[in-house]
Amino acid sequence: MLELQGLRQTFNPGTVNEVRALQGVDLTLDEGSFIVVLGTNGSGKSTLLNAVAGSFFLDEGRIRLDGHDVTRWPEHRRASLIGRVFQNPFSGTAPGMSIAENFALAARRGRPRGLGWALAPDLMGALRERVAGLRMGLEDRLDNAIGSLSGGQRQALTLLMATWLRPRLLLLDEHTAALDPKSADQVISLSDEVIRRDGLTTLMVTHSMAQAVAYGDRIIMMHRGRVVHDFRGAEKRRLRQEDLIDRFDEIRRREQLDEGAAAMLRELYV
Amino acid sequence: MTLLLGALTLGLILSLLAMGVYVSFRIFSIPDITTDGSITLGAAVAAVLLVGGTSPILATAAGALAGAVAGALAGVIHTRFKINALLAGILVMTALYSVNLHVMGRSNVPLLQANTFATQGERLGQALFGAGPLHVLGWPVTPGDLAVLALAFLAAVAAGVTLYLFFRTDVGTAMRATGDNPQMVRALGADVDRYTILGLALSNGLVALSGALLAQYQGFADAQMGIGMIVWGLASVIIGEALTGSRSLGLALAGAVLGSVLFRLLVAVALRWGLNPNDLKLITALFVFSALVLPRLLARRRGGAPAA
Repeated sequence: MLELQGLRQTFNPGTVNEVRALQGVDLTLDEGSFIVVLGTNGSGKSTLLNAVAGSFFLDEGRIRLDGHDVTRWPEHRRASLIGRVFQNPFSGTAPGMSIAENFALAARRGRPRGLGWALAPDLMGALRERVAGLRMGLEDRLDNAIGSLSGGQRQALTLLMATWLRPRLLLLDEHTAALDPKSADQVISLSDEVIRRDGLTTLMVTHSMAQAVAYGDRIIMMHRGRVVHDFRGAEKRRLRQEDLIDRFDEIRRREQLDEGAAAMLRELYV
Repeated sequence: MTLLLGALTLGLILSLLAMGVYVSFRIFSIPDITTDGSITLGAAVAAVLLVGGTSPILATAAGALAGAVAGALAGVIHTRFKINALLAGILVMTALYSVNLHVMGRSNVPLLQANTFATQGERLGQALFGAGPLHVLGWPVTPGDLAVLALAFLAAVAAGVTLYLFFRTDVGTAMRATGDNPQMVRALGADVDRYTILGLALSNGLVALSGALLAQYQGFADAQMGIGMIVWGLASVIIGEALTGSRSLGLALAGAVLGSVLFRLLVAVALRWGLNPNDLKLITALFVFSALVLPRLLARRRGGAPAA
């Protein structure tokens, strides 16, 4: 379904701000799998997601999605295959427009837009029903500007918009990180429900070990632009939060050891 | 009464300019100074064609189309070449000054002999009501002036309604969202660059349409007529927002028309009371400045009051 080969990306090369965000990432997602990407700040996990979404073009590497080589596709073209929810609840919706109008846009993701009426009656009917399914009481407020809603409500609606037309790939970029704990729980369980119901191939980036353990069927652990661990199958199911924390500590210790050893060798031989 | 009628007609004709500025400034948040060039371009193209004997409808449409091309050009410079929107507008406006002179062949084209919407309107008025002055609320009015006013009103309403309907289609909705949240529009599969170019073309097409009608109403096209037009458009949009107190689409468009008419009435009254016409642009600029700054100052005062 999604195939990443040797992704490399360096931001601001040759300057003091040089960041080697991706240093050779290979990853293959099977149809219908739900992968959680876990990592520390600056590990490259959001960069990985943005690379797949097409926010920038890669220095090196190839991306195949649903049988297409999308490496050189611009972001808006890839959107025909990809549904996306951002970390910032303000990013996924147009605040000045009504809930219904936002969905009218989502209903034509990756399709040609013509002079058809945006708020067609059949869309409105389906919309009322699906929004009522969120149990947030928003179905009576479809004409309200989306900017007047809370972050949690906006994130739930963004998820619904991203999956309105079944995407070949769903990208969730720490989409609960900016929410209060209650809304975060609501949005993550809603996400899981939609992913299971529609069997969506999903790549979810998160900070939260609890989410990583509770959701998905595979965990990718990233560090310094590389995939350092891949838990899947029975190993993923058995995994507890403590195991993940241990694993991160281990990586950190190994790194300190490397630096300590290098310093020692320098002193001895240079 | 002639003064009032003139101000109303001019306000309605320039309401097309105001709607164009609304599209670029409020929907795309781009203060698009191409406006100053494209209004003259619309006037110039229409005037030259009218002098050559083209029918008013075709000449006006050609003027609007020329403006749309100019707007699209500014959009391409801004999006494809990543040049700041304001600078892109300045470049196109400056280039248009030469283009306009070339189109007209000199700095001023009079339309005294030409068959225009204005002359057609006057003939229509006389055919309907005769040559003599009519009395509206006890004031004498020539039927010709009244018919021209009616034509301007029809043009403003037709443009407003068309624009409103357009912005509720799939394309129009995507265009509005582009100004509201480009990141989301990209994630939903629409090309932000394309919609920005299309939006600026639409905006400048309306502006040039306004210019083409203005030339016919005032009886000439002039290379200098566009100077400061963007600020007049902004003033109309801002007055309109104050009048309707709303940023919802339909009311905002209606507000732009009302704002334009009210603005021309205020100008007419001020000139009548002895305002030096040379000061008009200075005062308009000051007005727009204060309209942009005042809400922020008031908010700060309100926010700061409890602490003080």
